[in-house]
Amino acid sequence: MAPRERDEAEERERCITGIDGLDNILNGGIPRGNTVLITGSVGTGKTSLCLEFLVHGAIAGENSLYVSVTENSDKLLTNIIPYDFFDRKLIKEGRLVFIDLPVIYDKLGLEKLEFEFEEVNILITAIGNIVDELKIKRLVIDSITSVCYRLKTQENIRDFILKLGAMLSSRGCTSLLVSEISPAEERYSHYGVEEAIADGVVVTGNLERRGDLLRTLQVVKMRGTMHSRAKYVLDLTAVGVLLVPLLKGGSVASAGG
Amino acid sequence: MAVTTEVSEKLRALPEAAAVALRMKAEHYFDVIRAMLDVFATKKSLDSIYVTSTIPSTSIINALDVLEIPLDHIWFVDCISQIMMSAGQKHGHAIYVESPTMLENIMLKVEYLIRRTADRKNLVIIDSINSLAIHNNTKILSEFLHILVNNLRAKEAYTIIFSMEEYETEEIRNMLNLVSDETLQVEGEA
Ligand SMILES: Nc1ncnc2c1ncn2[C@@H]1O[C@H](COP(=O)(O)OP(=O)(O)O)[C@@H](O)[C@H]1O
Ligand SMILES: [Mg+2]
Repeated sequence: MAPRERDEAEERERCITGIDGLDNILNGGIPRGNTVLITGSVGTGKTSLCLEFLVHGAIAGENSLYVSVTENSDKLLTNIIPYDFFDRKLIKEGRLVFIDLPVIYDKLGLEKLEFEFEEVNILITAIGNIVDELKIKRLVIDSITSVCYRLKTQENIRDFILKLGAMLSSRGCTSLLVSEISPAEERYSHYGVEEAIADGVVVTGNLERRGDLLRTLQVVKMRGTMHSRAKYVLDLTAVGVLLVPLLKGGSVASAGG
Repeated sequence: MAVTTEVSEKLRALPEAAAVALRMKAEHYFDVIRAMLDVFATKKSLDSIYVTSTIPSTSIINALDVLEIPLDHIWFVDCISQIMMSAGQKHGHAIYVESPTMLENIMLKVEYLIRRTADRKNLVIIDSINSLAIHNNTKILSEFLHILVNNLRAKEAYTIIFSMEEYETEEIRNMLNLVSDETLQVEGEA
């Protein structure tokens, strides 16, 4: 049995991610309304994981929104088309929505490269309005690191994530914030404050073992549920993200044969 | 034929979703495969997932071809052919794992095939514990089998683990006892 952590005694309603392996790790899903940081270096599967979370949400009748900051959403769409469970109908019916954040910036007249307190409030209000209008229950911002880049100071970043989290939580919206870090960074987020404020932290990474490169996933923190803190091996497939426990006998130190 | 009958009858006597060790001599190998993939899996309407770390999947596929056993419900996780094969040689019913040391990847590919064949129950064959033991230490191999078997049991799949008597060690026997519900011995003609 993997070690488990109990944060809060009370059982909260779950947002079932639809990614079976992750729901098992989380003992049934993400506590509804949580803001979860998905953090890892490039190519570790963060975007794929988030897209799958939204597609399953849309299928389950929860309107889902993907806020793209760096990549064009048309290009992202090509990533989910191969999924067996994806259906274009979800987009046509407005259950799965893609918005490019730069478009929002434009509309709001946020042209400055550096956001202050005021711009933070404008942005949060704008996202809140979209969530209300489209009745969004699942939200992904990919990536929060790109937004934080404009916020500059740790105070502004803390302020932004706190307000964003509170706004989404009060609407019962479960959200994933993608955080990009370089493999060398020995923390969970680039600015070092994101992980402290988020309700959950899921780390994706690469693990080299005897010359083989494995994709890994680990839930480091999740408020409102018991969860495994063990490392899992991840595979990105046409049936979605698959997860199996990382075999412990396989650590370099004890590897033989 | 006697071996095929013997093995298929023994398999049919198993409870649902059993995990069994199947001990055999090398000479009975193809009769056992026929009993499992043709007689047993067909009668039970199972999709078979055949994990091979012993001989290339193409060799088994060729043998099945000769025996006129259709491949429709048979899938391979091939742990030994990847390095030697070009893309054009890959078979549509086989998924390749880089090496028999990538045990997590074996689990992931089995999981993938189970999802892909969700309309039918599964029979998962591990061929063989002896060849896996060449590439992995006992500790990690036991952990792998333990997780795999439990996972498959939860999915109501049968697990059959091959053990070639000629290559059995004390460690392998202990491992099999630990992870399987029972051991079936292929006797052959007396
Ligand atoms: N369903 C899939 N099957 C196979 N490979 C995939 C699948 N989805 C994504 N990938 C590959 O995995 C890699 C990483 O994916 P991505 O989610 O974009 O990582 P990140 O967002 O962490 O940078 C990409 O190279 C992508 O091509
Ligand atoms: Mg990405």
